[in-house]
Parts: sequence; C-alpha cells; structure tokens
Amino acid sequence: MQSARDTFYVTLRDRLAALNPARTMVVRGVTRPGVLVEENELVSAYQPVNAFCLHWTGLTVDAQGALPLVTMVCQITYATDGDSGNGGMDRGRLLSAMDGELVAAVSAAPQNVPKVNYVAAAGGSGLAPVTMATNVFWGDAVFGAALVNGERLERVATVEVFSYQEAGEL
Amino acid sequence: MSATTTAVSVVGAVAPVTRRVRAYFAPVDRVAGVPTVFDAAQMGTFALDAPPAPWMDLGWCSKFARKSETKVGTLTTGTPAVVQSQVRTQVEATVQLEFESWGKLQLALASGSQQMNLLQTTTGAAANGSGGLAAAAVPLVAGSTANAVSVGVTAAAQFQAGQLVAVDEDYVAQVGFVGSGVSAAYVSSPASVGNDINYIRRVSLNVGRVVGISSGVLELGAPLLAGVPGSGMQVSSLVGFVDREGGGFFQEWSGLFVMDGEQGDRVIYHYPRLQAMQSSAEMVEPLAAPLERVRLAGAFRALPVKDANDGETVLCFRSYLPGAMRAV
Repeated sequence: MQSARDTFYVTLRDRLAALNPARTMVVRGVTRPGVLVEENELVSAYQPVNAFCLHWTGLTVDAQGALPLVTMVCQITYATDGDSGNGGMDRGRLLSAMDGELVAAVSAAPQNVPKVNYVAAAGGSGLAPVTMATNVFWGDAVFGAALVNGERLERVATVEVFSYQEAGEL
Repeated sequence: MSATTTAVSVVGAVAPVTRRVRAYFAPVDRVAGVPTVFDAAQMGTFALDAPPAPWMDLGWCSKFARKSETKVGTLTTGTPAVVQSQVRTQVEATVQLEFESWGKLQLALASGSQQMNLLQTTTGAAANGSGGLAAAAVPLVAGSTANAVSVGVTAAAQFQAGQLVAVDEDYVAQVGFVGSGVSAAYVSSPASVGNDINYIRRVSLNVGRVVGISSGVLELGAPLLAGVPGSGMQVSSLVGFVDREGGGFFQEWSGLFVMDGEQGDRVIYHYPRLQAMQSSAEMVEPLAAPLERVRLAGAFRALPVKDANDGETVLCFRSYLPGAMRAV
C-alpha cells in the first residue's frame, strides 16, 4: 500500500510541477515542488499556503479477486492568503488557479501509472526505484466548498486511489 | 550454445476496470454489401486518439450496453424427455449507448434514417420541414484536398469562417445509394427526390466547418469524411442538421467500441454491421435545475457477417488484450 501512496504522490507532484514550475516550497531548507505528504514530514500545526498538502485517510480492501483491490482516500488540502502586493485581493484568483492545476493534474490521461516501490531508493541509498507489476489508478478529484479562515481561503479535494496488493507486498 | 531466458513471474488476472467507452465508425459499402472489418490481431493496440484508417472517432459514449438476443434450444429424446444436445435457434444482438458529442456522424447514426443537412435556401423559398429549396451550390476548382476546398477567389467571397458546408456530387438522376464516403440515403427514382440537384448534398455526411479562407481556398476544421473531393463536386452552405421520425432508409455502419482497462488491458467490441433499431431519441440528465444535459441515444441491431476463418455466421467480435505479464 505504501508503494501505491508513494507512486500517486510522485505522479501528482511531477504533473503539478510541469503545469506550474513556479509553484515551489522550501522544506527543511530544500526548494521543491509545492506538494507534500503531511505524514512524511515533521509534525507541525503549520498549514502551508500556495502548496498542496496530501493526507491519506480512508482505506478499504476487497479481497475477493485474484489480487486484493485496495482503495485509499487521498485528501488534498490547499490554501492561499493571496499576494501581499495585492493586499490579498487576488486570493480568490489564486485559489482558482490551484483548483485548475489540481483538475489538470488529476484528470489528465492516463489516470493510471505503473506502481513503483521507492522503499529501497529512500534515504539516498543510490538504489533505483523498482517498477512493480500492476498499475495504480485513480478517479477524478471531488472538491469541497472553499472555506474562509480569516484572510485565508482554503479548500479540501478528495481523490480515491486504487491499487492491487501484489504477492509479497506489505 | 543455447541462449537462456530468465523466467519472470506473472501476476493474477483481475477483472478489467474501465472508466468509459470510446466509439469508432467506419463505412459499410452498401452497394457491395461489404462492411469494414477490424482485425484486433493487427490493429488492436492503436492509440485511442489515432484510430487506424478508415475508422473515425465518434468520441466517448456512456451507458454502453450490449445484449445478446440469441436463443438456445434443446433437443430432447425419450420419455421422460432428456436433453441430448443444444442448438441455436436464433442469433441476434443489439447495442445501446449514449453519445457524449453531437456531431454529424453521431446524429446520423443515432437518427435511424436519413440525416439531412439544412442547406441554405434561396431567397423566398417555400417553407419545408427538412429545409426549403437550396441556394445554388458553388463548384470546386482544381487543387482541393480533404482539408481544403478550393472554390476560387471570387466564389470564396460568398463564404465566411465558421460556416458549415456540405461537399458532394450533384444529383443527376442517380438511383440507389447516394452520398460520398458513406451511403447517406437510397433514392428509388429521380421523381421521389424531385430531381433536386442538391439532394445528395442535402443528405451527405461529407460535411465540414470552414475555419479559414485564403486565396480562394476554404480551410476546414477536420478532413472531409470522403477524403479528397472528386471532380464535379460542389459546395453548399448549411446551417445545421435535421432528422425525421419516419423514413424508409436505414443507416448501416461498422462499429468499434473500446474499453481500456486500468491495468493495461483492453476490451474491444467489433460489430461489422450495425443498423439503427430506433428513431431519433435523446436522454436527458439533470444538471442543476433548470439545466439539463441532453445526450444522443442510439440503439442498434447487429447484422451478420461470415468469419473468413471458419465460415461461421456471426454478429460481433469481442477481443480481449490482456495487460503485460498477466496470468491467462
């Protein structure tokens, strides 16, 4: 299941970065595309703005088929205060731009990619990620209402991500 | 010394998971009674956006449902009767779907009968349900292609970018199937169509939209269905399309429906001969009151062909291309 999560994250990150290379964030001193997985970072109450934050929530497994079908729910939160140079009056436009980027990244064909195991490649081991035998696939994003939090606009989108649990995979 | 091959393991074959169905059209030669045959062994892996010629993209469709109406009877003997064997007493199949796009082809296929072009009329033409007396057509000059219709600088002034046009032959007393590229109607006698010189352009599926005009050439948004226009064809402007409840003609086409699976597998349904089995119909999907989305609804009956491999009479072919390294 971790491989499916990592694969979806990397795919979404790369697609978003290609759509808007200027959307970046600095995490632990490193500039990277403005997408992160909340559970992979240090615990913080800070909500990044102008970036997409992925949370893995729901999980169901259908074990009736030849391979167990895993359904995971990815909650994507994002927020913006607008541009300070504009007095924040462009916060609606900036949230709309993030909506558009997320639609394009999630809905672009194909909505599936080969599952990749990144475990061995983590931590600067120098080992290459391993492409697995099945695909990860996902549905379209479902968008929640925009929330006003002081001067900040926030939204939560949800994507269902599917994968097959391969033999020996944990 | 023999080469060795490293064995690789296969993964379990899971049921295909698909999102939607892509439909493709190819013409049936109505005069010769020959459909377009799709060979999944040779062409099955084509990219959905680039079907092999002569297949044409009909776009996505929804509520695709195929139904076998084939009946299997039994042969029984003795008392009490005991089933000894089975026989097929009837072979029949139907397909239903809703087109996501309203284009000329989709309208024509779903209409069930002639799907006519609303040709621009002459000034003061008497009103008629499928369009009044058409304005004079514009002859082609040399140099046309499937994407660019050459009419000359003077005649081109009659057209504007954005206009719809039909490009086809004059009607000059032909009897039988008419229409370039696709048989669009059957004419039983010149009198039945009033000897209308524009009749073929009125029913033709060889239509396009002008997207630019340059040096007497009408640039079209997509290639004409019949390809490079033949000599003697003319161009008529049209404002839209019309079909009717009733009529004696049945559209017939070769159909291809493709479902791509999420694991790299593909299911292909090929119906070499399909005829509409209902008249024009729509399905309405409420969006948010009062908005509704209207989809073209089609229902088709499959007609038979002979499979060259064994001479069997069949209605449809279902092909399955498994994903890589899946158990079979």
